[in-house]
Amino acid sequence: MSAHSHLDGQLPHEPERATLEGRNKVLGFWLFLGGETVLFGTLFSAFLALRDQVGDGNPTSQELFKLSLVAIATVLLLTSSLTSVFAIQAMHRNQVKSMQLWLIVTVVLGLGFLGLEIYEFFHYVHEGHKFSTSAFSSSFYTLVGFHGAHVLFGIVWISLLIGQVYRKGLTVVTAPKVYVAGMYWHFIDVVWVFIFTVVYLMGKVG
Amino acid sequence: MAANHTTHSEEPAKRHKHEGPRKHIVAYIFSMLLTLVAFATVIGGEINASFTYILLLVMAVLQVIIQMGFWMHMKDRGHLFPIVGILTGVFVVFTIVIMAEYWTWW
Repeated sequence: MSAHSHLDGQLPHEPERATLEGRNKVLGFWLFLGGETVLFGTLFSAFLALRDQVGDGNPTSQELFKLSLVAIATVLLLTSSLTSVFAIQAMHRNQVKSMQLWLIVTVVLGLGFLGLEIYEFFHYVHEGHKFSTSAFSSSFYTLVGFHGAHVLFGIVWISLLIGQVYRKGLTVVTAPKVYVAGMYWHFIDVVWVFIFTVVYLMGKVG
Repeated sequence: MAANHTTHSEEPAKRHKHEGPRKHIVAYIFSMLLTLVAFATVIGGEINASFTYILLLVMAVLQVIIQMGFWMHMKDRGHLFPIVGILTGVFVVFTIVIMAEYWTWW
């Protein structure tokens, strides 16, 4: 809609939708997110079906979970979702430096989240809650660990994009990539909302 | 060519309307509040279990609607396809969850 402004060397209004390739990338990414929803749905259903199968003498979710740690992790991830929104808004204003800064903040917050999760798993293993301890522990580590792996992937992805934008600048080629990475990050956050609700809070209630 | 893009600031003549950060901050505050209520309900532990479950699910669904609406732009124009896609995904997921529970325990 604003391809005209591209003629004088300025980025169009919404650079992620300026080209057909960019629009297709966004559309294709929604399809991918639909598939991811189903993937996490199956992991959730496995966890819900097995979460009470603890076995004799193994730690239950009530004994195990520390809500303070989960609360801090939640705040970190929620905030990183907000900073990635700021990055996209800066992109729409064509402020590359500010966009890069917000992306870096997002990555740092993501790393903080990941650090907490690694510490948490470490602590659980110490408490005798290993991957193969019970059906509960296996389904727990599969679901939460899969989400953690997604966070790690997002951190690597956004970091690489920061490097690419630094080298090539913000163009109609790089803008859709940043936009799509932002969508991915929000999706990870949305999945976490269900994880802290279904796994941790409901696990604590019993 | 790429460098040109980065140095341009907004020209008043063709400035587009850019949304400010305000409504995103409001969405963030709402998300935080919903999270706080959910955690407080469980830590307080006063309310009976089945009611807590319902309350937690309502908090989660509300938060997801806020986040997808504002942060993933699903409330904006031209997002019918993503909405239909996500709703289809949610339908599939609910079917899977109910089926898995039913198969395992009844």
